[in-house]
Amino acid sequence: MKFLCIPCDSPMKLQTVGPPERGSLSVVYSCPLCGYEMAMLTNPFETQLVQSLGVRIGPEGDAAASSTSDSRCPFNAMIPAMDQARPGQADEPIPVRWTPGAEARLENIPAFVRPMARTGIERFARERGSLEVDEKILDAARDFFGM
Amino acid sequence: MGPRERACRGVRRGEAPRLSMKGYHDIVGDGGSRVLEQVAEQRTRITEGLAGVRHLVAVGSGKGGVGKSTLTLHLAGALRARGLRIAILDADFNGPSQARMAGVQGALFVPGSHKVALPRTRNGIGVFSMGSVIPESEALEFESAARGESHTWRATREFALLGEILGSFEWGALDLLMFDLPPGAERTVQYADFLGPRTSFLLVTIPSEVARGVVARSVAALSKGPNRLLGYVENMNGYYCRDCNAIKPLFVSPDASGLEIPCLGTVPFDPELARHCDRGIPLGELPETPVGRALEHVAQQLLDSLESTTEHPR
Repeated sequence: MKFLCIPCDSPMKLQTVGPPERGSLSVVYSCPLCGYEMAMLTNPFETQLVQSLGVRIGPEGDAAASSTSDSRCPFNAMIPAMDQARPGQADEPIPVRWTPGAEARLENIPAFVRPMARTGIERFARERGSLEVDEKILDAARDFFGM
Repeated sequence: MGPRERACRGVRRGEAPRLSMKGYHDIVGDGGSRVLEQVAEQRTRITEGLAGVRHLVAVGSGKGGVGKSTLTLHLAGALRARGLRIAILDADFNGPSQARMAGVQGALFVPGSHKVALPRTRNGIGVFSMGSVIPESEALEFESAARGESHTWRATREFALLGEILGSFEWGALDLLMFDLPPGAERTVQYADFLGPRTSFLLVTIPSEVARGVVARSVAALSKGPNRLLGYVENMNGYYCRDCNAIKPLFVSPDASGLEIPCLGTVPFDPELARHCDRGIPLGELPETPVGRALEHVAQQLLDSLESTTEHPR
């Protein structure tokens, strides 16, 4: 959807996106020539349709802009609580530390598998006598479990 | 005069827009929402991620319960036994069965340098299935601003999920990536649209006129698009009786005429094989059976069809 300022015949630019309120987004556009502002208020169906594309809405370059979800990853909106370990995997007694490099790699994967991956890799590390997950442990786990 | 007054001067209520004003296609970009760009970026990630995959094959039907998932897994096993690099994407997010059948229900998702390593089966087939993520006691659900109206957005959401999976996992260099599709003739066509013309289709039916009728609709719908129809497999063509060591009829179908695409083979039903599927035991670990030989034949036909550059007449 694009917005045109008719008096200026100029495309309007997205300025801000208000946080969802009862399924409605407030998306403010302004004309770069005359400064006229308008707000597009979506109904929940419209909000959901855009959200279903797995995209975020916000001004260009504004990574922290309000959006329909916390990130561009559509998995974020999956309800099953994947951050809850499966039965039998909870209450691991010994905490495992993640190096920054390993943590960064974990951030690269879809949010919906991240908690499962964390739990499983920590178990993999413990089974090998390590209380730290570094990139070597990740590579070993990848060789062991992955294609 | 302020901008508001000037803006209000532009077009009065009931007045037609000026002929000289810009139209949608005159405006480059979308004013900063980047919705289309983000969709295009995801498409690029998918294309790049699948660049090393030689063949993409969607196993569909239109009809449910004809054995698409079982056939997908066993064909993958037969091809893997020949040394091919194979992966399966269980695209049936709402009824995923590959995780259990392939024995990857407890798969560990390991982050690589940029993407997630694909879990593999004991015999080296890469498998992604939502069954590895969501326990069988739970259904796949999404947060929604329009709860109770899922018919308006659910399919779009699921395809976004498929796109994210395709873009997030390491598919690497594969000979064949098989998509195990959900039932529904209209869904089959939606997958063809989403996956694009690189993906060929293998359809599965059973010797029942009702099933053939539904699959014929899928053939008709897919024939209008650019995707190649490799052929069909008639599954459950009799059942294998171990006591008699013979194939006995399972369906009584007066009209044995096929669909208007090549038949790549018939596969009988084997209760023992079904039992092994439930336990996640690969076909290769079973003794040779008529079902195994039938699957070998279909696998060869599939390979021949994929390697053939000749388009089958529709």
